[in-house]
Amino acid sequence: MMFKIAIKNLLGAGLRTWLNVFVTAISFFMIIFISAMYDGMREHAMQVSIDTEIAGGAYWHPEYDPMDPMTFEDAHSVLPDAVMALVDQKKAVSVLVSQASIYPNGRIMPVIMKGISSEQTIVNMPTQMLVVDDETTIPVMIGTGMAKDAKLKVGDSFTIRWLDADRTYDADEGTIVHIMETENFKLDLNHIWVPLAKAQSMLAMENEATYVTFAKDVLPSEGNGTWIHRDIHYLVRDMEAMIEADEPNAAIMYIILLALAAMGIFNAQVLSIFRRGKEIGTLMALGMARSRVVGLFTLEGGLNAVLAAIMTVILFGPILWYFNTYGIYMGIDYSEGQMGLIIAKRLIPVYSVGLVLTTTFVVSIIVLIVSYMPSRRIAKMRPTDALRGKTAV
Amino acid sequence: MKMRRTMVFLILAFAIGQDGAISVQEIIQAMDNNLNAKSRVITSKMVVHGRRSSRTIESKNWVVGTNLAFTEYLSPPREAGTKMLKLDDKLWTYSPQTDRVIQISGHMLRQSVMGSDMSYNDMMEDRPLTDLYDATLEGSVEIDGRDHWILFLEAKVKGLSYPKRRAWIDKEWFLPMKEELYAKSGKLLKTSTMDGIKKVQDRWFPSRFIFRDELKRNSKGTEWVINEIEFNAEIPEGRFSKARLRK
Amino acid sequence: MIGFLIKGIIRDRTRSFFPVLVVTLTVAMIIFFQGFLTGIMNSMFLDSAVVSTGHVKVMTRAYKEDSQLLPNDLALLDTDQIINELQKDYPDYFWTPRITFGGLLDVPDEKGETRAQGPVYALGVDFLSTDSRQFEIWKLDNRLANGRLPEVPEEVLLSTTLANRLDLSLGETVTLIGSTMYNAFTTYNFTVVGTFKLNLGPVDKQMMLVDIEGARMALDMKSAASEILGFTETLLYEDKATVALRKRYNENHGASADIFSPTMMALRDANQMGTMVDFSNAAIVIMLAVFLVIVMIVLWNMGLMNGLRRYGEIGMRLAMGESKGQVYRSMIVESVIIGFIGTVLGTAMGLGITYYMQEVGLDYSSAMEGLTSTDIIMSNVFYAQVTPELYYIGFIPGVLATVLGTMMAGRAIYKREMAQLFKELEA
Repeated sequence: MMFKIAIKNLLGAGLRTWLNVFVTAISFFMIIFISAMYDGMREHAMQVSIDTEIAGGAYWHPEYDPMDPMTFEDAHSVLPDAVMALVDQKKAVSVLVSQASIYPNGRIMPVIMKGISSEQTIVNMPTQMLVVDDETTIPVMIGTGMAKDAKLKVGDSFTIRWLDADRTYDADEGTIVHIMETENFKLDLNHIWVPLAKAQSMLAMENEATYVTFAKDVLPSEGNGTWIHRDIHYLVRDMEAMIEADEPNAAIMYIILLALAAMGIFNAQVLSIFRRGKEIGTLMALGMARSRVVGLFTLEGGLNAVLAAIMTVILFGPILWYFNTYGIYMGIDYSEGQMGLIIAKRLIPVYSVGLVLTTTFVVSIIVLIVSYMPSRRIAKMRPTDALRGKTAV
Repeated sequence: MKMRRTMVFLILAFAIGQDGAISVQEIIQAMDNNLNAKSRVITSKMVVHGRRSSRTIESKNWVVGTNLAFTEYLSPPREAGTKMLKLDDKLWTYSPQTDRVIQISGHMLRQSVMGSDMSYNDMMEDRPLTDLYDATLEGSVEIDGRDHWILFLEAKVKGLSYPKRRAWIDKEWFLPMKEELYAKSGKLLKTSTMDGIKKVQDRWFPSRFIFRDELKRNSKGTEWVINEIEFNAEIPEGRFSKARLRK
Repeated sequence: MIGFLIKGIIRDRTRSFFPVLVVTLTVAMIIFFQGFLTGIMNSMFLDSAVVSTGHVKVMTRAYKEDSQLLPNDLALLDTDQIINELQKDYPDYFWTPRITFGGLLDVPDEKGETRAQGPVYALGVDFLSTDSRQFEIWKLDNRLANGRLPEVPEEVLLSTTLANRLDLSLGETVTLIGSTMYNAFTTYNFTVVGTFKLNLGPVDKQMMLVDIEGARMALDMKSAASEILGFTETLLYEDKATVALRKRYNENHGASADIFSPTMMALRDANQMGTMVDFSNAAIVIMLAVFLVIVMIVLWNMGLMNGLRRYGEIGMRLAMGESKGQVYRSMIVESVIIGFIGTVLGTAMGLGITYYMQEVGLDYSSAMEGLTSTDIIMSNVFYAQVTPELYYIGFIPGVLATVLGTMMAGRAIYKREMAQLFKELEA
């Protein structure tokens, strides 16, 4: 009953209601859309990292610190038994990391050389491309970003120089056998990938590795010696932090958007109370409890949110759907990793139920508050004044 | 196995080399006799050609075997007074500006000295080739009217800067007039040549080496000019002490 | 007429207070929003500019080619002269020499033996010369975590991360091990007088800041520098202007084939910055457009409502013999006045907030802790930015939309009979 009156009143106001609803709907849309972009970014980065790099987690040599290349020299050993067993069962892949220099076209470039088994299936990398018949040079795989930096293409040869386990510099020719397209710049920038066995013999580190990445369903076992277990959570923490760091900006924008929508509704409420003093007076004179009158007006205002939600679905639903299907072209070339984030060329926003519910809830609460605030005055009115249309706002 | 093959080759080479009546072993021995000594004291000058300008650095070295070396830089003024001490695989440096003795990690020894094409090891290493390498004779060749043997050397111990080298040895002077220094994989890393051969303390010794880093683009080479050299000099034990760095 | 209307507006609170308040608030919001967006982008660019790229920078061609190796043997020489020329040719910018170098820091114990050693990434910045704005643009007053700013070239600041790793306390001596611009081995002593936190993610992990004269002494680089960085006097990054500047400079200096001749790069030429500049410009335009639409609607609606509120009065005025046109015009003039007052107040308020944010910033670095190993230069403190547009942008929605709303509402004057309007007075 009250709902009916409320919606009739609200719609009766025509254009000015629709303008408010429209503004609220835009806010709705923007909040959902932008949050979904963040979620999409996070999900994408996470998914790509897990797919191409992290898999189920890793065991690190105790000396290994990926951020400090100085540690690579000492961060290698034969695998602990339990870890070795995983590798033998093909549930894990070992990687041998070292510093090296390459001399493409006479320039010198410091790189990180990683040896990885070409048969591995643990991480999504085209390591099978490292299998070549030619034994004369070192087969090397690089990413597109590295290829651009070093101006290298498939078939190009260059000198690689490295320090082996005996602390002797050694050098040999490497040939690019494959340039991989990867969304994960961490596998690309300043990296050269060579077959594990080759790396081990180059470095004189037979059967040794720096870290071991294991498949998703493998549970960390006992017997990993001094090697350190790094779970997925640890390996993605930087990425998490990166995205979280950006979210306060979005929050400020949400606040401004909501404030604008709220102001419109607030203003409309003030106006309708001003204009409908007589109505209020009549309702009260007829015996409607003040609280119910307040409730009626609050409900009227609150319905803005409902209408806005409906309008969002009708007006912006298709847009949200479109982006969810086709993604948003970001125009950013991830490959130089300058963003420090794995970013999809086409970003697919992720709309979670939680996101939509939270947004709806927050918007509704705010709309209710701004509807209630002016309505409170009704409670202070004297019916006689109201009847005569004497309403002070 | 490898050893035996080398032996066979050596014997063969000996047989073939009947006319000169000298074995590969003897060649290296003779070369070592020229180049190595129980100790040496060298005053030398290094001319480094940078991409922009050239610089000359003068230093005095005291070397005993491979494990003990002491260097004092004499000029230019900025470097004068800087000293380095090498004890086995450890390297310490002292500079008067900082008045500090600092240990530098071992593989710095394989890095270039003062931006040159030479490493500290190139400068300081002094260990008989006979101990380190197996040699095979690849033939003879005449260069600039002088006869040379071509010798290929392959390391028999681990951890050498150049596990393979090829030397062109002057038949009269028993000196490697030209050397190609290779990585384990066979990649050419450096070339060195020498000239200005003189008689010093009954041995032939060059007055200039030229090193070239073959991996560097447009390397113009580094000249190492020996101003003074004294072999088998008595070097007091105290020379190779950390205390001596500060002096 | 206008005087009369103004009096009316001032005296009638319903006519003035609410509309002006709404206009003020919305205008303030859009101005703050614009300032905030620009601020985010600009502070992002400024941070990159301050740490590495400058708004523009000059280096030798050979250095540019190998810049990732920090090849100081290819540095610019006689930088004072180059800077003088730049200053003369491009006075809108200020120019500062920079030396970027790597090496090892060695910390001695009481006996002078190595106690700790670690890699360092050092920036030689012209902090100490007179008129230098480097302390200001590095915001070192805010970013200093401990100790004080350097006063002589031998004094350095270390990032807190680096200082902690080397277990250093203030006042201690550290020895830099590195190579000179002639590639000679060098060691040099510095005194650590302070530690800083850039709040830019992990860029400062191994960072040491030293006055350029200190770096020059350590690296034997008398009057040389790796690069010369140029910043706009206002510190605002203007993409088009810097690109034009870079183009002009390189045309003027392009004739020589000398690999040591200077060449200029704009901020957008560095790595991914170009795409980021374009991307953020597009983002700003879209965001701002959406916001303008919203604000227009809100104000339009408000104008509409203000009109409605006064149907009774209008009826009365018509009854008293004013013509419809007169009433309509007076309402519009009134809304212009309201829009104008609101916009002026809103602009003042928005600018005030923006200015506050510009000076104080919004710090959420606590949210960033645990972030230790990524490469991006990232702002943990976001600043708003007062730009010239802010002074007028509010007028578009503030006056236009208000007037538009009133015009819409005012149409009713023509549509309805006087009697009907008069009746609304009762309502």
